[in-house]
Amino acid sequence: MKNIYSEKLVSWYFLSPILFIHFFVIALPSILSLALCFTDWNGFGKIQFIGFQNFTELFDDRVFKIAVWHNFIWTIFFLTVPIAIALLGAFILTGVKRFQLVYRFIFFFPYILASVVNCLIWKYLFHPKHGLHTFFEDLGINFFQNSLLTQKETSLLAVGFVDAWHFWGFLVVIYITAMYQVDDTLYEAAEIEGASKWQKFRYVTFPSIRPMFVFSILIIMIWSVPAFDYVYILTGGGPAYSSEVLANYLHFQAFRNMNVGYASAIGALMFIYVFIITGIFGLLRRLEWEF
Amino acid sequence: MLKNNIKILSLLIGLTTLLMPAIGHTKTVITWWNYSNEGSGLNNALKEEIEDRFNASQSEIELQIIFKGEDVNGPTRTALLAGAGPDIITSSGSTYVRAYYDGGFLKSLEPYAQKYGWKEKILPWAYNLGVFDGEFYSFPQNYESMIYFYNKTLFEENGWKLPTNLTEYENLAAEIKSKNMHPFAYGSSGWQPTHEHLAGNYFNTFAGPDNVYKALVGEKKWTDTEFVEALELLKKHMMDGYWSGSLENYYANDWDGFSAQITNREAAMMQIGTWGFEIMEGFKGSGDDWDWAPLTILSEDAGEPNYQLSIGGTMSINAASKNPDAAAEVLNWIISDKNRVLDFTAKRNYGEWLLPLKYEESDFSPSVDQRIRDYLVDFAKATGNGNYGYTTWTFYPANAGTHIWKDMESVWAGDISVVEFLAEQQKLWDKARDANELIPVGKR
Repeated sequence: MKNIYSEKLVSWYFLSPILFIHFFVIALPSILSLALCFTDWNGFGKIQFIGFQNFTELFDDRVFKIAVWHNFIWTIFFLTVPIAIALLGAFILTGVKRFQLVYRFIFFFPYILASVVNCLIWKYLFHPKHGLHTFFEDLGINFFQNSLLTQKETSLLAVGFVDAWHFWGFLVVIYITAMYQVDDTLYEAAEIEGASKWQKFRYVTFPSIRPMFVFSILIIMIWSVPAFDYVYILTGGGPAYSSEVLANYLHFQAFRNMNVGYASAIGALMFIYVFIITGIFGLLRRLEWEF
Repeated sequence: MLKNNIKILSLLIGLTTLLMPAIGHTKTVITWWNYSNEGSGLNNALKEEIEDRFNASQSEIELQIIFKGEDVNGPTRTALLAGAGPDIITSSGSTYVRAYYDGGFLKSLEPYAQKYGWKEKILPWAYNLGVFDGEFYSFPQNYESMIYFYNKTLFEENGWKLPTNLTEYENLAAEIKSKNMHPFAYGSSGWQPTHEHLAGNYFNTFAGPDNVYKALVGEKKWTDTEFVEALELLKKHMMDGYWSGSLENYYANDWDGFSAQITNREAAMMQIGTWGFEIMEGFKGSGDDWDWAPLTILSEDAGEPNYQLSIGGTMSINAASKNPDAAAEVLNWIISDKNRVLDFTAKRNYGEWLLPLKYEESDFSPSVDQRIRDYLVDFAKATGNGNYGYTTWTFYPANAGTHIWKDMESVWAGDISVVEFLAEQQKLWDKARDANELIPVGKR
C-alpha cells in the first residue's frame, strides 16, 4: 500500500495522462510513419514493402537535393539576420524607459498574426502592379519591378524575409526577458570602468544572456527543418523549385503525388537531422559546455 | 409537491424530445460529403437546389449534404481508410477515383447504371472515365473544356480577327503587344497547376489530339518530336510575354488579377477553361462585350478545332455504405432532369455542376445567354463527331499529372531542356502503366 503512494510513483500518476495522449497521438503515428518509409503506399490501397528503394530514389532526386540545400540556406539565414536584428532591438529596448510595453507590443505584433495574413500582406507589397513598386517607381527605383517572390534568384530569400519579419519579434521578447535578468551592478561596474555601449553589450549583456541565446539557436536549427507555411502560401516552392524546402516537398509528395511512402522517407531523414541536432546540444550540455 | 410535479413534467418533456425523432423518423438517411465554398454561396446553393428539393420530392430518403472544408479529399481519405465515410463520395477528379477504386473503397454502380439507363444519359467520354475493369464506378459532377475568351469590342475596334493558324496567332500577338496590351490574360499565383492548362493547349493544338491519344494509350512516346516542338513553342511564347507580359508577371498574377486584365483591356484574350464564363460577368458595366471561340489549331498535324475533354469533381458510392440503393436513387434524381441541372449550373455561372449530359438546344430556357448555349451545344456536337482533345488533369496519372506543371517551371527557367522534361514524363508514364495506375481513356 505504501509503495502505491510512494513519491516516485505519484509523479508518474500525474504524468500518465499526458504520456498516454503523447504515445497515441505522437509516438505511435511517428513510429508507423517511420515504418511507411519502407513501403510504396499511396495513402489508399495496399501497402507493399519495398525495402530501401525510397531512400535510393531520394538520393537520386534532383528536387530533394535542391530542398536540402535550401533548408541549409534557410537555417543560416535565420541564424544570422533575425538574431542580429533581435539582439540589437532588444538591447536598444532595454535602454528605453518610456512606452517600453508599446514598443514590445509593436515588435511582437507580427508574431501573433496568422501566417496567411502575413503572407497576403507581403504578397501584395511585392506585387508589381499595386505593391512597393508603385511607390519606389516614382523615386526612380525599379528594384520591385518584378515580384521578388516570382524571380528564381530572389524567391527563397524573399520568403525567408517575410518569415523573419514575423519571427524576429519573438526573439526580441525572449532576449529582452533575459536581458532584464542581468544584474544591474555589472553594468554599474562597467560604467565605472568607462565601458562603451558596445563593450557593455559584448562583456556584460551577451555573456549573461548566453543560455537564452544558445536556446534560440537550438530552436531555430530545429524549426528551420519543418519550415513550411510561408513557402507553401507565398511561392509553393517555385518558381522552378527556387524556394523549395523539405517540408513543402514532403507535403507535395504525400498529398499531390500520393507517394506517402516516399514522403515518409523524407520525413524520416528530417527526423534524423533534428535528432542529431538535439543530440549534439544534449552532448555539449553533458560535457558541461557552458550554456 | 409543486417542485415534484415540475420535476416530473420536465422529465417527461425531456424524454419526449429525445424519443420523438426516433419514433417518427423512418426515413433512410443518405450522407454526402462535398467540398465547401461559402464565399461563392455554393453551400447554400447545394442545400437549396439539391438537398431541399430532393427531400421534398419523396418521403423515403433523407439526403444530408455535409461540407468538409475546401479540400474534401483529405477527410474522405481518412474516413475511407477507417472503414467509414459518407454514403456518397465526392472526389476532385480522375486521379482520386482511380486511387479509391484501387483501394476497394467504391461500390460498383454498374447495376444502377443499367437499371436507371445512365449510359444513355451521360456523354460517352464522361461515362467511360468512370469505367474501371469493365464496370462503372463514378460519374462527373462537372465538365469543362479549354476555350478562348476575348474582348469582342476591342477586336472590332482594331479590326482584329481570331487566328486560324500559327502565323496568324503570332502576328495577332505582335499586333496586340504593339498596342501595349498583353495577348492573353493569365497567371499562376495561388494555383501553380495553371501551367498545365497551357501545356495541354499546346499539346492539343500543335501536336494534335490524335497524337496525344496515342501517347495516353502507349502507342507513342511523350518524347516524340510533335510534343517536343509543342512545348518548345509554348516556351518561346511564354518568354515573349504572351501571358501577362512576362514570366515573372504571369507567376505574380492571381485569379482576381487576370480576371481584371481581360475586362479592363490590359489583355485582349484569355485561354482558360469554361469556368471562365464566370469571369465574363466582369464585363457587365465595362462598356465592352465579350465572346468565346475554340482554340486555334497551330499546326497541320492537329486536325480540326477540338474541345479538350475534362471533368471537375466526381461522385461515387462508398463500398461501406449500408444503403447503396438509396444512395443510387439520389444520384439518379440528380442526373435525371436536364432542365433542373441547367437551371442549377446557370446559377453557378456554368463553372460548377454542369453535369456531362446530352444537352440539346431545346433543353435551354430562353433566358440562357446565347453564347453559353452555343458553346454547350457546339461542344456536344463537336465531341460527338470525334473532335476532342484531352486535358492533363483528367487523363494523366498522379505523378505524371503533377510533374507536367511542377517541372514546367524548370523548363521555362532553363534549368532543364524540353527533351529532358519529356523524358521524365515518359518515365513516370511507364511507371504508372506498369503499376496499372492509368486513368481510363476510352477508345478514340
